[in-house]
Amino acid sequence: MAVGRPAAATMMSRASGLLHLRMSPRAIILGLVVLGLVGVIIFSTTREINRSATPAAVTPSSRPARPAMTPVEEAFIQSVWPIHGEVERSLMRTSLGQILYKTNDLSRADLKMRMEQALVSYGRAETSLRALDPPASLSNDRETYLDAVRLLRESALEALKMFKDGREDHLVAAYPKSQEASDKIREVGGKFWPNEFPPN
Amino acid sequence: MIRKLLRITMALGLLVVVGGLGRAEILRADQDDRDDGKRPPQTLPSGFESTDKLLRDVERAEGAPLHSAWIVESSRFLNVPHRAFQPDVGTPATVDLPVNVGIIKGPDGKLTLYDSGWKQLAYIFDWNTSCCWKGIRDQMTAIGLNPANVVRIVLGHGHWDHAGQLSEFPDAVLYIQKEELKQIDFFTNYPVDFNSGNIRAVNTINPLTGAQVGPPQQACARSPVCGYPPQTVQEILGKVLNGKAKIVDGRHEITPGLVIHPAFRGHTYGSQLLQVNTPRGQLVFGSDTYSSWTGIRDWLVANIQQTDTIQQFLAYEKCYVLTSRLNSFNNCIAAHEPTAYTPAYPITSNWWNIPSGNCSRAAELILANGEPTHVPANPDRTPPAQCVSVIPPHVIRP
Repeated sequence: MAVGRPAAATMMSRASGLLHLRMSPRAIILGLVVLGLVGVIIFSTTREINRSATPAAVTPSSRPARPAMTPVEEAFIQSVWPIHGEVERSLMRTSLGQILYKTNDLSRADLKMRMEQALVSYGRAETSLRALDPPASLSNDRETYLDAVRLLRESALEALKMFKDGREDHLVAAYPKSQEASDKIREVGGKFWPNEFPPN
Repeated sequence: MIRKLLRITMALGLLVVVGGLGRAEILRADQDDRDDGKRPPQTLPSGFESTDKLLRDVERAEGAPLHSAWIVESSRFLNVPHRAFQPDVGTPATVDLPVNVGIIKGPDGKLTLYDSGWKQLAYIFDWNTSCCWKGIRDQMTAIGLNPANVVRIVLGHGHWDHAGQLSEFPDAVLYIQKEELKQIDFFTNYPVDFNSGNIRAVNTINPLTGAQVGPPQQACARSPVCGYPPQTVQEILGKVLNGKAKIVDGRHEITPGLVIHPAFRGHTYGSQLLQVNTPRGQLVFGSDTYSSWTGIRDWLVANIQQTDTIQQFLAYEKCYVLTSRLNSFNNCIAAHEPTAYTPAYPITSNWWNIPSGNCSRAAELILANGEPTHVPANPDRTPPAQCVSVIPPHVIRP
């Protein structure tokens, strides 16, 4: 019992000391610093745990890879490529030309020039496509592409009317044909050059 | 003794504050709205927003109406080499990348799309480079949102996998940056006077020699400005011709609580972010500027095909600033984050497979204005690896 009393007194004294410490500004500052440090440690740990989270499971490929084309098919596709490039570029130039004309970033004269250049380009593309001899397996695709070029030519001719009578609604009237053409070109292009526009 | 210590501490504190202000003055050339002294080099004035301005947008938005938000997966790229997506991350070797579209509902019930997914393409399905495509209108209907209520579409950028299906929403107003359109136009006719013309927005023959050397050597596939098929630009043109486009130049407040922020060259020349005021703070949709959410979290570049890495990081910073009041980077919404629709990307963890959605997924990000949940009572959460998608019907067969 003689031991118990001094121990209790010591504890009381410590408790009183702690109480005193809690009350003092120094203790408050110290406590805040410790709390801050603990917070930083918890935040860092959580962040590191999150960092190590692995991405979602990869879906296994279940469909077959694209079968190889025959040499004749490859040769045909290869010969369409430069035509395709020219058509795509002309279509882009006229589409963006119309947009930038509408936003007053391109002059009427420049738009007219783009339209005329595109018209020439479509005519050239049609001639080149007709000169090719596609394998039977791809003849439908050639026809689809020719159809697209025809639509583009008609669309350009309609748009060019604007420069004769000044009516901008010719651009609106020309649009459905160029849109349809762009869908066709995309489908054939996607089949011929699957990696033309990869994931972005 | 304690008083002495306190006095010394206070004096030191004052010194630190004064010193800090001094330094701030050096960093901040001026305290008004002229940003010339703060703007990083090679950053367009219309593309720059100071931290102060962004914080003011946060403050304004917090007093604005609240919005609900979801994402849906337009389609999914399969087995993409991881380092092609994030050069600093190689494990696992390949990843599947969702292509996310944001759907935002305002207090008036009107819907805003952030990006519009992609148009169906035959080859993608035939050759197994993608799965799970479903038209956005169908997806929206399947999760209980009326596509007829879409009044606007904000394009994060104009690449084909984010800017398709515009024609599915003929009445919706398109928001796109002028810089985006100008750069495509420039690179369709890239001057060959001072280089060999290899950087082009569409594939073509070598403009100098006239030689045909691709594909794949000169396909526009890996050209830094590629990604805009004529079909996509045509859809944008359709909006312009029909008076349904707003060509934006830099920051633009669409309505209170919906703010466009430029992120020029964060992915493409005219990339833009969308700040949305919600009950969980500001959400910031980033399209491919925020391709990867873990990239934002860990400060890693992602999807850098056309990206200026400095500008991408500056765009990350914009998200950190805009979300600084609540949830920080957790509120940055990524377009291709591989961990999307899992707890690893917490804001997307409330996900489900869209009914009849061809394995495409949706996630409810936040609800506002008493909007009931759109998550089904018994959501289908079949893991992607076990969900079998089908090839949608298409005209041209391989």
